[in-house]
Amino acid sequence: MADTVEAKESTTLAPLHSDTTPAKWVKDNLFNNVMNSIITVALGVLVVFLLVQSFGWIANEEWEIIRVNLRNFMVGQFPSDDLWRLWSSAFILIATFGIGTSAMAHNSHDDAIEKGLVTERSSLLDLLSRFWPILAFVALVVSFAQTWPPVLGVIAGVGAIAVTRFVGWALPAPIRSRAVPMMAIGTVVSLAVLAGTSGLVAMGAGVVALAIAASELSRRFEGSEPKSTAIRTGGPIIIGAATLFIFNAIGFDGYGWEDWGGLHLTLFATVVGIASGMPIGILLAIGRRSELPVIKGFCVVFIEFVRGVPLISLLLFSSFILPLLFPPSVETPETLTRAMIVIGLFSAAYIAEIIRGGLQAVPKGQTEAAQASGMSAAKIQRLIVMPQALRAVIPAMVGQFISLFKDTSLIATIGVAEFFQYVAISNSQPEFLGKGLQLVTYAFVAVGYWSFAYTMSKESRRLEKQLGVGVR
Amino acid sequence: MFERLLRLAIIFSILAALYIAYWKVRSSTQSDTDEPPPWRDSRVLVVAAQIVALGLIWSAADYLWANFRARTSDIGLKLDFGFLDQPSGISIADNPLNSNAAISAALVQGVKNTFLIIIVGIPLAVILGTLIGIARLSTNWLLSKIATVYVEFFRNIPVLLVIVLTWTIFLNAFPPVRISWLPFGETFIFNNLRFGFPSIVGGDKFGTFQVIVLLALLAAVAVWIWRSRLFDRFGTPHHRVLYGLGTFVAISVIGFVALGGPFEITTPEIIDRVYVGGITMIMPYAAVMVGLVLYTASHIAEIVRGSILSVAKGQVEAGNALALNSFQRYRFVILPQAFRVAFPPLINQFLNFTKNSSLAFAVGFAEITGVIQNLFGQSRPAPQLLLILMVVYLVFSLVLSAIGNLINRRLQIVGH
Repeated sequence: MADTVEAKESTTLAPLHSDTTPAKWVKDNLFNNVMNSIITVALGVLVVFLLVQSFGWIANEEWEIIRVNLRNFMVGQFPSDDLWRLWSSAFILIATFGIGTSAMAHNSHDDAIEKGLVTERSSLLDLLSRFWPILAFVALVVSFAQTWPPVLGVIAGVGAIAVTRFVGWALPAPIRSRAVPMMAIGTVVSLAVLAGTSGLVAMGAGVVALAIAASELSRRFEGSEPKSTAIRTGGPIIIGAATLFIFNAIGFDGYGWEDWGGLHLTLFATVVGIASGMPIGILLAIGRRSELPVIKGFCVVFIEFVRGVPLISLLLFSSFILPLLFPPSVETPETLTRAMIVIGLFSAAYIAEIIRGGLQAVPKGQTEAAQASGMSAAKIQRLIVMPQALRAVIPAMVGQFISLFKDTSLIATIGVAEFFQYVAISNSQPEFLGKGLQLVTYAFVAVGYWSFAYTMSKESRRLEKQLGVGVR
Repeated sequence: MFERLLRLAIIFSILAALYIAYWKVRSSTQSDTDEPPPWRDSRVLVVAAQIVALGLIWSAADYLWANFRARTSDIGLKLDFGFLDQPSGISIADNPLNSNAAISAALVQGVKNTFLIIIVGIPLAVILGTLIGIARLSTNWLLSKIATVYVEFFRNIPVLLVIVLTWTIFLNAFPPVRISWLPFGETFIFNNLRFGFPSIVGGDKFGTFQVIVLLALLAAVAVWIWRSRLFDRFGTPHHRVLYGLGTFVAISVIGFVALGGPFEITTPEIIDRVYVGGITMIMPYAAVMVGLVLYTASHIAEIVRGSILSVAKGQVEAGNALALNSFQRYRFVILPQAFRVAFPPLINQFLNFTKNSSLAFAVGFAEITGVIQNLFGQSRPAPQLLLILMVVYLVFSLVLSAIGNLINRRLQIVGH
């Protein structure tokens, strides 16, 4: 998403030269009548007062608590000897996603030219204006750093983003068309460096291998003779299983998410929540539109129940009741894993409602046309209805992503040390206990949440405009 | 688990085989039928799919229930509601309930406190949100920018953070009890434990006076309707606000004088660390209220702004052409139409407000979630308590959305 090509909008042109002078602008926009003049003066005084107060507060407050706990806020209690894992996993992600997104941008650029549209690649300045809140937050974090490695790491990361943008754009077309598999592989490798190669990572690797093999094999072996059908269906399963087995066999150990913390865990929990909620949400949305009363009833009850109770009650469920639902012979998973199960189901219910909205927006004629051309019900959903519905709900999905990002702060209340929880943890350290530094830490955490959420909400508004949702 | 599924699969295949055999026999005896085979017959497939789904859901539920029973009996957890009569062991601030009161009484008090947040908070959030939504569209650049900054700030930080932030700011901003801030000639009390406001206290004739006030209200409504009818029929200026208010005030004042002053206004005072007179609210309540209102208002402001923008431009221009001033334009042309668009998403915000009120426990306000978390701390049985908690919120949600839908139906234009 970081790097996309926008079709230029044909808007009405602004006048070539405007008559507005600064004095006239002030008169028109601030003092155009008595009421507005009063409002302007009153608010002006208030704003100046608040700014002076907050600058005074910022200048006078003790920021040592952030400096000392900076690593806690970012990555929690991750073992300091193995911090290289975090850095390298971050760099692998940056590299593959930088290359992948700009390769995708180049692809759609080529597409647009083929269709005779005028496009322009977004410049680095555009990216800066879109992502400045996150960059500002990163700069803030770096300014609190006490040693050199994190500063150098961040500089190297920003440099890597710039470099991979050009590398991705310059890649030859056949490689560029495989940008999505590349990013998926990058994600798996990055997770493997962090969390080792067994367990969930191996399963993820198996799924990714299965998907990639399926798409590659169906490209090579078209046609309907039994041999290519067998390769098309059997190949991916074998390759996926083999990958799973090999990953488990490598035996490279890392730190599971129980050892993660801070902002890193918050971001990761959000991504996992949406990613695991997505497939379940799609199924629930389809089920809710089904004409079979049993299936429809189950989906309606599930969705309305989850949406009707607060997330905190579901998290209490995850910490008190969920352990009791595992068979007595099995050891119950840890707090975070249980919380993630609940968060996945929670976001599935909300995603289902979003997708249902998208499904309703697909004109009925589309389904009827597909039925008329003899497609099966499954094929109609997969090839005709879903792509249109999902495209229409992308902005709403980003909105859900933002709200889940904010809601993950609630897992602090069941004792998971994520970003928000470090406010309490840092303020209970003996050196800061009872010094009344809560406001300082809250301010820092608020800036962190705000920078990510604000950037994403601006992006979703941009996407909405770009996709022309609701305009057609 | 595996065995269970296997058993289910065997039962299903036997059923399917029986049905196919039945179809074979029937189609061979009745040669004129053109029924499709069962695996192509959509009527059969619909029923089969539902039986399979029901079987899967049932066996999953049964499996989880069996695990649940096994684990709870292992740790000796009783699954009845008898514990509700035991003493709760917790005390609720600002409430006569002490730790000897029954758990059920504590729970009821928790529900009341939740209700107290919702009933005060939602109207406040709507008023603030509407004002800010209008402010964002102001022609005054400074005002609209401030409104934008407000909305973008509060929309993009977690509501939990807003609440605890408000709480912390209140704790730091207001003085401790012994040097309480007493503005307006000691009629108010503000300190970092409690806020006190003036209130009225009724004498022995207060009940009669309340009846008179109620009658005055009814009379005012009647006058309002009478003036509106007059306006509709003859076009005479209605002045219904003036007339209605006049009627209400006149009757109330006459009643007040006739009963010889049925109530007095008391101001809060602190005498020997005890608050006397007036009405006071505890700090956590004030913090939760302000935090939730600030947060929800930012969302409502966006809804209001969108709905105002959705009012056709011609309507505003027509209002201008009739020489309405900007207040009249909003009051009579824009807001009534915008409200119709804004109402369905507003219901959603009310539901969110209700659910977010569960975060009050973070600052120690004993609403239902807080009470239940405290009871968890007393190792009361979690499954039943959690069930109660979820049912309470589901009931709140259902009632709110039922009321909302009722109003929404009244609002929509008939025939559209």
